[in-house]
Amino acid sequence: MNVKYRLAITKGEEVRYVSHLDYMRSIERAVRRTKLPAAYSEGFNPHMKIAFASALSVGVASEAEYMDLELTHDPGADAVGEALAPQLPPGIAILRLRQIPATGQPALMAVVNLAAYRISLPLTGGDAAMEALGRFNAAAAVPYVKENPKGKKEIDVKNYVSEIAADPGPDGLKLAVEVRITPTGSIKPAEVIKVLVEKFGLPADPDAALVTRTGLFVADGASRLTPLDI
Amino acid sequence: MIKIPPAVLSRVSKPARYTGHERNSVVKNPAEVDASFALAFPDVYEVGMSHLGLKILYHIINRRPDAAAERVYAPWPDMEAEMRSAGIPLHTLESFRPVAAFDVVGFTLQYELSYTNILNMLDLAGIPLKSADRGDDHPLVIAGGPCAFNAEPLADFIDFFVLGESEEAVDDVAAAVAEWKKAGKPGGRRGFLARAAAIAGVYVPAFYDAAYNADGTLSGVAASHPAAPPVVTKRVVADLEQAPYPTKPVLPFLEIVHDRIMLELFRGCTRGCRFCQAGVLYRPVRERKPETLLRLAQELVDNTGYSEISLTSLSSADYSCLKDIVSRLIDQFKDQGVSVSLPSLRIDSFSIELAQEVQKVRKSGLTFAPEAGTQRLRDVINKGVTEKDLEEAVGAAFRAGWSGVKLYFMIGLPTETDDDIRGIAALARRVLDIYREVNGKRGARVSVSVSSFVPKPHTPFQWYGQNDMAELERKQQLLKSLFKDRSISFSWHDAHVSFLEAVFARGDRRLGEVLLAAWRLGAKFDGWSEYFKFALWQDAFRETGVDPHFYAGRERSADEVLPWDHLSAGVDKAFLEREYRQALAAAPTADCRRGDCRVCGVCQGLGVDIIDWGVSS
Ligand code: SF4
Repeated sequence: MNVKYRLAITKGEEVRYVSHLDYMRSIERAVRRTKLPAAYSEGFNPHMKIAFASALSVGVASEAEYMDLELTHDPGADAVGEALAPQLPPGIAILRLRQIPATGQPALMAVVNLAAYRISLPLTGGDAAMEALGRFNAAAAVPYVKENPKGKKEIDVKNYVSEIAADPGPDGLKLAVEVRITPTGSIKPAEVIKVLVEKFGLPADPDAALVTRTGLFVADGASRLTPLDI
Repeated sequence: MIKIPPAVLSRVSKPARYTGHERNSVVKNPAEVDASFALAFPDVYEVGMSHLGLKILYHIINRRPDAAAERVYAPWPDMEAEMRSAGIPLHTLESFRPVAAFDVVGFTLQYELSYTNILNMLDLAGIPLKSADRGDDHPLVIAGGPCAFNAEPLADFIDFFVLGESEEAVDDVAAAVAEWKKAGKPGGRRGFLARAAAIAGVYVPAFYDAAYNADGTLSGVAASHPAAPPVVTKRVVADLEQAPYPTKPVLPFLEIVHDRIMLELFRGCTRGCRFCQAGVLYRPVRERKPETLLRLAQELVDNTGYSEISLTSLSSADYSCLKDIVSRLIDQFKDQGVSVSLPSLRIDSFSIELAQEVQKVRKSGLTFAPEAGTQRLRDVINKGVTEKDLEEAVGAAFRAGWSGVKLYFMIGLPTETDDDIRGIAALARRVLDIYREVNGKRGARVSVSVSSFVPKPHTPFQWYGQNDMAELERKQQLLKSLFKDRSISFSWHDAHVSFLEAVFARGDRRLGEVLLAAWRLGAKFDGWSEYFKFALWQDAFRETGVDPHFYAGRERSADEVLPWDHLSAGVDKAFLEREYRQALAAAPTADCRRGDCRVCGVCQGLGVDIIDWGVSS
């Protein structure tokens, strides 16, 4: 009987600039090195049954990534952790893991609907920054045109980000941003910074921002659970 | 330790090229080693990380307690611009120390069009470009790889070259560096070069003087230092069984060009294709035992977690126990989701059977290299493949369910006429017909890829004058006009690129100034079509007064001194000359692997032997 494990893992400084695809592939290789009984898809070109939650952009680190790993039999949670931890590349660590039902669970991708980020920004002007954030928080709507290779799309940033908390420090500003992930889309933290700089005059160089995901949640009204707690 | 600012990393493409931390990379404390090497590949990360030779050297150096090897690749132009504007010097991916702080910087020379990147990397490292301008505290700049067999165009820039297989030579070099440093660097830089020149396979160009005749040809490259041998002969590993193999290769995060396990079945190839340089440089054939390969494969899978094992060699299908090793590898790893692949196929039905076994689903494309369009021309180049072989192989492929075939050819081969060009088109059409015969309907896709022949040193065609660019382009257009069927796609190489390759492949020391001029004008990444600027090279030739056609298009006479005559791959010049005459007579020469020795000189001269497990067992 196949079993499934859900793991909370990190994407640390060492792998900050690794793309989501490369991050996934490096974990898949780590699993293969463990010799754990990973399950593979049927067919001639088998794929390891491993699934990740929301993708991270290049340059974004994380303290809260989640993955589901399917095994063909159960070596026990301790054995899974002990086998995998030493095989993971530097910067990727296991925070927690537990077994979840092997079937009947919606995909990780489908359940998470809120992501929290910490953004460190070296500032070029002090008070102007807090004023810019105040204006963003007070705005009822913030129209923004998202551009990607497929085309342009106008969105309201406020549909995804209601409020941004700021903590000014000696070497810059620390922002706490919560972004809603909806069935029709979301916004990337880099785009939020761009909006703040271009539309609200935040005095910062967007390229110099360091973004770290601090949480990924299944939010429902007041309740807020991590994928490991649902 | 160099720290790249986040703003830089967020602006450049693929920043993971520059951030290191790959698993299996070896980080040593520089204070604890006597000889430190920065192993440099003069191209972008994804290309350089795919190269087996550097993985081998990295492994051999790092297993020495007294030495350390780190990696460095050419930064992509966007990163180069950032580095120059932020004042970040070229540095390695392990300790992030400047390359200039290493004892040795070692470049691998895989293709001529990477030479400007070598100059650019030295410049980014803050190391004087010319050997003569370096002081005792600059790193020793060394190079190896196939292009080192005509080292002359790089003679001004490289302190010494290592010819041939470096498994043993690199140990000698590391030991010599450590010893020289511990002794307090006696004699300084030149003192070390004299020690290096005594190592077999090492060529120190500064210890040789080139002289020229009135007509511009070479009159000789003569040793001018007591430590320098008149002829430097390549190193060769007699028995690969004993040679160290990198079973713990650095594992990239980025998807690299060859992102899989590379299992080297054997080295060398004695089929004797007359255009092929590798076939001469890596003689003789030496196979690993199947048991050894299975053990290496197991270690590689355990240490990498890769899902594919590629059986690499110059001509993998020639491995004597191929069928056996393929099925045993598939068996051993099928539960771990690891597949086996063959990078090159021979043109026969045996190869199709194997291809079927290894890549059950990927029916998308099979690649064959008939190289020439007519039997006559295939006899000239000694490509022992007949039209019947191709028909059988393609027929077997179509019966097995493949529908796409890729065919590789060359144009501009010696004795070629327009009939041979038409033969390429006819062969492609024949492949379409075979599909119809097998399947009763149309539906095959044939892609024809045509490169322009570049005569290479140490081959029977080393004397041949390359077709000029106009002629190559005329042949390309002729061929293009012959492909009317939409099921055949046709691609060809830029003739300017092939011309420049030919210039540098058979050039002499006078090209050093051209290289320098081209680099100053902005040449870099010449192997990448988006960066290759021929006009700039024309300017460089004009500026330096060097005529490129003298090197590319001129047929050399048999008695001319060639710029690589003092560098030996162990194969006699007389053998190459004989082969050239045989070629012009369209007379084939059989493979010496199982047949008679053709007395090319390698086995006799270097005291090595063919190792072929299919025969001895
Ligand atoms: S010396 Fe003879 S056997 Fe050895 S590689 Fe040359 S031709 Fe072949």
